[in-house]
Amino acid sequence: MNKKIISILFLLIIFVSMALVYSYLNKTSTDEKQFDSSVDTITDENVAEEIDNFFIEEDDEIEIGEMV
Amino acid sequence: MKKIMTISIMLMMLISIPAFVIADENEENGTEDTEIDNETLKETQIMNNSLGAEIRLLQLQKAILKNILKGAMAVEVLDDLEFNVTALEAILSEMKDLLEEVKEANTSSNESVQIFVELKYEAKNLTTQFRETIKELLDEEKLNEIRARIREMVSEELQNFSKWVRSRVRQFNKNQLYRLYGIIGEADNTFVNEYINETVSLTQVKLQINKLINQKTKENRFEIFSQIKEENIKKKIHAQASIDNMKNKGKGKGKWS
Repeated sequence: MNKKIISILFLLIIFVSMALVYSYLNKTSTDEKQFDSSVDTITDENVAEEIDNFFIEEDDEIEIGEMV
Repeated sequence: MKKIMTISIMLMMLISIPAFVIADENEENGTEDTEIDNETLKETQIMNNSLGAEIRLLQLQKAILKNILKGAMAVEVLDDLEFNVTALEAILSEMKDLLEEVKEANTSSNESVQIFVELKYEAKNLTTQFRETIKELLDEEKLNEIRARIREMVSEELQNFSKWVRSRVRQFNKNQLYRLYGIIGEADNTFVNEYINETVSLTQVKLQINKLINQKTKENRFEIFSQIKEENIKKKIHAQASIDNMKNKGKGKGKWS
């Protein structure tokens, strides 16, 4: 009986450790991919978007809703 | 046997704690996002300097003024049709008081973001109140007639005010253009003057900047792009910090929905 419980616990520990290691490695590789892609590919659209965000449109309005 | 049970319970508790922490963090972030709408958050991003704050408050003044004029026209029509307009007039009077408050707001104050957000939400609430009240008085056909009259409305006061706001926006964009020239390492004063004198549009300005960046080497281009992006992120962080600061003070809680 004791042996069975110990082996289940042992398996549980292995399973949790594997899950933790997998999630950590997966997160790191995603972060790296994101960083790499930002360095390699700056498209004209990326530059245009950042320039757009730098200015205010002249006909920009604050929306507070319609009266009628 | 007891020992094994205790160990397994402890192990389960240890596994559960990080899960609870992650769940709690997600919950906290979720509530913050829903409190202030994204549009308002975006609007506050230029308020890290007094000219940006002035522009947002001027734009808010314009929106309130426009709604006061529309509301006054609707009240006039209803009055002619002999409806009771007391409730609508009371809301309009509150909107006029709010307009005065916006005019008097200090744009160089550290709390300009908080002032702007509070006044904007107040203006939104009054507009909703007016719209709901008038809906109770008139049917859809009559409402459409009033909407048509409002569309034809011409106000010299509003036109002049719009021109003033545009000129302040151009001033702001001029300052931003110089900042970009600083990052790129080149400047074209003639072009800036042409933009201020309205002989060149904002679209042309953006195209010129794009062209200047494209002429650079790949490394320089990346460096310029990173610096522009960094400036934009800084603005976002400043806006978010101002909003968080506002929430921490606990002022105006529950007004943002």
